[in-house]
Formats: sequence, C-alpha cells, structure tokens
Amino acid sequence: MEFKRLKEWKDKLHVCIRCGYCYEHCHIFKITNWESDTPRGKLILLYALLHEEIEPTDYMANKIFECFNCGRCDASCSAKVPVTDIFTDVRADFIDGGFDVKGTLSHINEDLCSKCGICVSICKYEARTLDKEQNKIIIDKVKCKSCGGCEAACPSGAAYIEEGYMVSEKELLEQVQCYLGGK
Amino acid sequence: MGLVGIERLKGILGEENVKDDKADLYVYGSDSSVHEAMPWVVVRPHTIEEVQNVMRYANPRMIPVVARGAGSGMSGQAVPIKGGIVMDLKRMNKILEINLEDTYVRVEPGVVDDDLNRALKPHNVFYPPTPASSRIATIGGEIANNASGVRSVKYGAVRDSILGMKVVMANGDLINLGAKTRVEATGYQLDRLMVGSEGTLGIIVEATLKFVPIPKYRCLGIAKFNELEDAGNAISEIMSSGIILSMLELMDNVAIKAVNQALDLGLPDVEAILMFEADGMAKEGVDIEVKRMMEICKKHNGFGIELSYDAKERTRIFSGRKKLFPALSQFKEFYSCTSLADDMAVPYSKMAETAKKIHEIAKRNNVIMTAYGHCGSGCMHTKILMDPRKKSQWEDAKRAVFEIYNYVRSVGGTTSAEHGIGISKAAAFKREKSDSLNLMRAIKKAFDPNNILNPGKLMDAPDDWVTATSLRYRTDPVDIQ
Ligand SMILES: Cc1cc2nc3c(=O)[nH]c(=O)nc-3n(C[C@H](O)[C@H](O)[C@H](O)COP(=O)(O)OP(=O)(O)OC[C@H]3O[C@@H](n4cnc5c(N)ncnc54)[C@H](O)[C@@H]3O)c2cc1C
Repeated sequence: MEFKRLKEWKDKLHVCIRCGYCYEHCHIFKITNWESDTPRGKLILLYALLHEEIEPTDYMANKIFECFNCGRCDASCSAKVPVTDIFTDVRADFIDGGFDVKGTLSHINEDLCSKCGICVSICKYEARTLDKEQNKIIIDKVKCKSCGGCEAACPSGAAYIEEGYMVSEKELLEQVQCYLGGK
Repeated sequence: MGLVGIERLKGILGEENVKDDKADLYVYGSDSSVHEAMPWVVVRPHTIEEVQNVMRYANPRMIPVVARGAGSGMSGQAVPIKGGIVMDLKRMNKILEINLEDTYVRVEPGVVDDDLNRALKPHNVFYPPTPASSRIATIGGEIANNASGVRSVKYGAVRDSILGMKVVMANGDLINLGAKTRVEATGYQLDRLMVGSEGTLGIIVEATLKFVPIPKYRCLGIAKFNELEDAGNAISEIMSSGIILSMLELMDNVAIKAVNQALDLGLPDVEAILMFEADGMAKEGVDIEVKRMMEICKKHNGFGIELSYDAKERTRIFSGRKKLFPALSQFKEFYSCTSLADDMAVPYSKMAETAKKIHEIAKRNNVIMTAYGHCGSGCMHTKILMDPRKKSQWEDAKRAVFEIYNYVRSVGGTTSAEHGIGISKAAAFKREKSDSLNLMRAIKKAFDPNNILNPGKLMDAPDDWVTATSLRYRTDPVDIQ
C-alpha cells in the first residue's frame, strides 16, 4: 500500500523529539491509558510505516482513526509538529488503501435512521451527505472529526459514536476522596 | 516470546492488559532518547500483587523486565535493549494517602508529578523536585532517575523528598524501605539505593514522599547578558555568596531563539539570560535575596533586569522554559533536537568556562549546541541540534559528545545531573566511575541474580551508543550533504 500523503510529511516526522508532552491532555489516552494510543505513539507508528518497517494493519488503521481532533496535541507541541494535519492525511491514505475503519468516527444505525438529513445540515465539517439514490446517509471518514454533533442532533438516536471509560466508579470515588483531604 | 508465555501473562493480568501486536511493541520500544529496541510484550499491572506475579513468572525464565513510567527518559533508560517484557506502570496511578498531620503523601508509581501537585495544592503544600517534564513524568520514573528541576537548588532532587517506598524484587518478593518519619538511621539506606537505579534493582510500587509548604511570596527576576561568560560568572558568584534562592536558570542565545520561535514568548534576543527566583513566607526576606542577585548580575554586566511577583507571568515564563527541549527542534528547518551529552553538572566556578567550551566544541564538530539548565544546582544542559537523517552528522555528534564528557571530567564535573545514564551516557559514566563499577555489578547481582531487571543499562550498557541499539532516526541511504 502506498502512503502517498504520509510521504509528504517525511521532513516533519523526524522533528518530533518524542517528549510525550502531546499526550498530557489526550482524551483517547486518558481513556485507554496505552501509549500506542497517544499522539506520540501514533507518530512513532507513522514513522515506522513511512520507512516500511511495519505493515499497515486494521488494528493500526483503527488507532489512527481514534481521535477526537481536539487539537490539544498540536497546541502542546513546541517542536511544532502538525500532529492533527498529519493524522488527517494518513487517514485519507488508509481509506485509499481500502481499510474499513471504525475508530472514534460517527456511525449510523441504518435500522433507526429516518434519513431526515438533520445530521447532514448540522455537520460543520461537511462529513455527512444524503445519497438520494441509495437513500442512505454517507459518512466521509476523513472529514468526520468525531465531534458528536450528529449524535446530539439525531432525533431517532441513529447517529452514534462508540466510547468507553476504563475507570470504575469505585476507583473514581477513591480518588475524589483522596483529593478532598486524604484518608 | 511464545504464545504460552503471553497466555500466562494474560492469566495474571487479564487479556486487556497485555499487548503483543507489533504496532504496540514498536511504540513501547522508544522513549525520548535517540534509541529504540523492540520488547516482546507489554504488560500493564494494576496492583502490587500483579507486579509480583509477573516477576515470579519472568525470573525463573530469565525474561528481561523493563519498568516504564511515561517514557520521557532521555538516555534510553526505558528502551528494552534486550527485549523482554515492558511493564507499563501508568495505570498504578492512585494517590493513596495525603497525611497532613505527618506531612507525607503515599502514591503509586504511575502518579504523574503535576497531578500530585494539583492534589496537594488545596492543602497549601507541594512536592518540590518537579522536573521540566512534570506534566507527564511519573513518580516511579522520577525516583528511578533521581530527577530534579528548577527549584532543586533550594528543595533538592527527588532523593531529598523520599521517606520510603515499597519495592518488588526480581524474584517477586515485596520489601518495605525507609520509613514514614522525617529521619531514619536504621541500617543501610536502601531506599536511597533505589534512587537513580533506573529499573535495574527492583520495581518501585509505592512511594512515601514528603511535601513542603507553598511559599507565600515568589519573585522572579530576568537579567540579560551580552556575553555568555558574564552570565556564567554571575552564577558562580550568586551561588557562593550565601543567598537563599529557589531558582537560577541559564538560557543561551540558541535556547532563547528556539523558545521565542516556537512559543512566541518574547524573551530578549541577547547572548544569554539568567532567570532567578527567591521565595519565602515574608516579602521582606524575598526582596533582600532578589536584590542581592540583581546586584551580582549587574556587577557582571547584566542589564535590563526585570522583577515580577506576578504568578501569571511566572507561569508564562516557566511554561516556556518547560517546553525548551522540544522547542529546540524549531531552531533550524529539518533539524531535530537530540538528547546527547544533555545534562552534565559542573562545579559553580566552572559554569562560565563550560558554557563557552560547549559552543566551541559544537563549532568544531559541525553541530549546533546550546547551553542552558538549572545552573543553581550545578546543572549544565546541552542538546545536539542536527539533521539526524545525515549519517555524517552522527559521526559529528559522536565526536562532540566524547569531547564534552572529557572536558566535563577534567573540570571535576559529572556525566549526568538528572537525566540518568541509560544507554547514551554509559561510556562516559563508565569512565567516570571506573573504580566503583565492580561494586555496582555486585550490588546488581545481589538484588537481581538472574539479571532480568532492565539488563544492558548503566555499567552493563555497550560503550558505543551509536551502535548500541538501532537509532530511532533513519539515515538517508545517500547522505544528503
Ligand atoms: C521535555 C523533557 C524535559 C525534561 N526535563 C527534565 C528535568 O527538568 N529534570 C529531570 O530530572 N528530568 C527531565 N527530563 C527527563 C525525564 O522526564 C525524567 O528523568 C523523568 O523522571 C522520567 O520519568 P518517566 O516516568 O518518564 O520514566 P521513564 O522514562 O518511563 O523511565 C525512566 C527509567 O525509570 C525506570 N522506572 C520507571 N518507573 C519505575 C518504577 N516504578 N520502578 C523502577 N524503575 C522505574 C525505567 O525502567 C527507566 O529506567 C525531561 C524529559 C523531557 C522529555
């Protein structure tokens, strides 16, 4: 598979010093707590892909699509690596390469969708279109920024983003107690 | 690692806490250093018992285990040079107890420094070592590296904030070191031995740390210098004149330019600046110390000195300082800031000479280097800025690193002030500590007879850091000169 767009970033990828500052505020990392889900981790993977040291896989593609595009990684990078732009381009490469990804993208439950088109009109990234021929909402997986707007607006609960939190309520309460003055 | 081993680890930790996909292994094979090496598997324990069980599995099978916090180490300490298990401790991130009466806090090793300080702040106390990387660095990693930071000149390095800890040994046994009291004279200070051990002696699974009151007043001063040497001389005099200060940081012109370029901080574009700070509970006391530092700066041709008690301004400047290492990658297009010969310490009286020497060595070897650091604690940071895609630049860097360490040793300095040895600094470290290496090896053997804890580091690391592991940069097949 050819990573045409990734190659364009060749001269930027090695500028990353792998300090890890980008993952301080990363929502995905906060949820999964795996370094391979951090912006730094993903940049490392892209560096390996660029140099053909690892094969692109569904697992990896999904990682690259797991991102809420909040841009905090960009903001915290003083080496000025345009993290989000790089990821967006590589997502397009993965789609061109035929990868079927879920990531944190918004989806449609066809059974519930009434094709009202509200999600199409509210999507500020123009990631959704109503294909009249197929009578179907089509999602542009590169344009979708996982903002959740469609999910919030959908009157029939058909638009959704999958999510999960890996902290149990008990663990959370223990921490809050400690912050409030110790045991 | 075979399937059976992976299944055993999954049995201990749960399927979701074991990863052996090549993508994950690749990521966990590097840190903030120039090195990389693939582990066989990454595991993520949540409890002390799970750590013990992993060790009990690995030890008889001679499987290397490399503890990992945030992977922000700069010398390849967390890079699994011999493969094996990388043990990611970031999920052990609970603050277990804040004891205000006895002035200590008990934490799991994966607690992030800034998170700890956020939790302590409402109680008007803080944990002071705080490296620049405090936003991600974990307490376990800080202890294992004896990290220090901008305020270490007054409050000491991590080793000065430790009261005790729990450690899982190579064979899975759990030991309690230190105490919860401020003083302890109960035999060997084994907790101190863990400090700076870089994961080679045991896995730190809990730490008891002391905290100190947040001072009511902090005053930050910035002085400009047209000669780096003048700034160095000011440092020597400030440090030898009995001033009680809480910070003294140097930034040379390369560092200033990089930070301004990357962060638009508006620092004065001069040869060097000194940032100094005094803190205390009484403003008069702070004023006196700051004034004395100001006068010394002036005496050494410092000018344009600005003082500020404003917490917001201090945070703005500090955040720039904290982002200096990555910002240095901005200095020249296509260049990267590599963590090489990055954190020596030299006697105060040699600061000026060292700063000058660093630039001289850089010039002679076709690389760009910068001189900055927590100079109040004797720390002189450098970094090598180069185009890492060029093979020839690695040869240049190698020569520069060698010359710098030789020089530092010749003036009575030391190889690492706070970033640790890992792989990158092993050769210089071995030369510096040649008379105690065998003792260190004997200690390592007593703690870890099967040599499974982060093997191939410190005294056992290869001498040539360029070939010790794969470099994490790929050089172009045809050198682009
Ligand atoms: C931008 C930047 C700025 C930095 N500034 C500073 C600074 O000002 N001062 C400073 O001192 N350092 C600084 N560092 C270096 C680094 O952040 C520190 O050394 C930090 O303490 C490493 O913590 P970590 O959690 O990332 O450890 P890691 O890098 O994950 O691990 C480092 C070593 O500690 C061992 N280890 C980790 N956890 C444990 C444990 N629980 N038990 C036993 N061994 C363990 C590992 O095996 C490894 O040998 C900086 C780094 C960066 C990238």
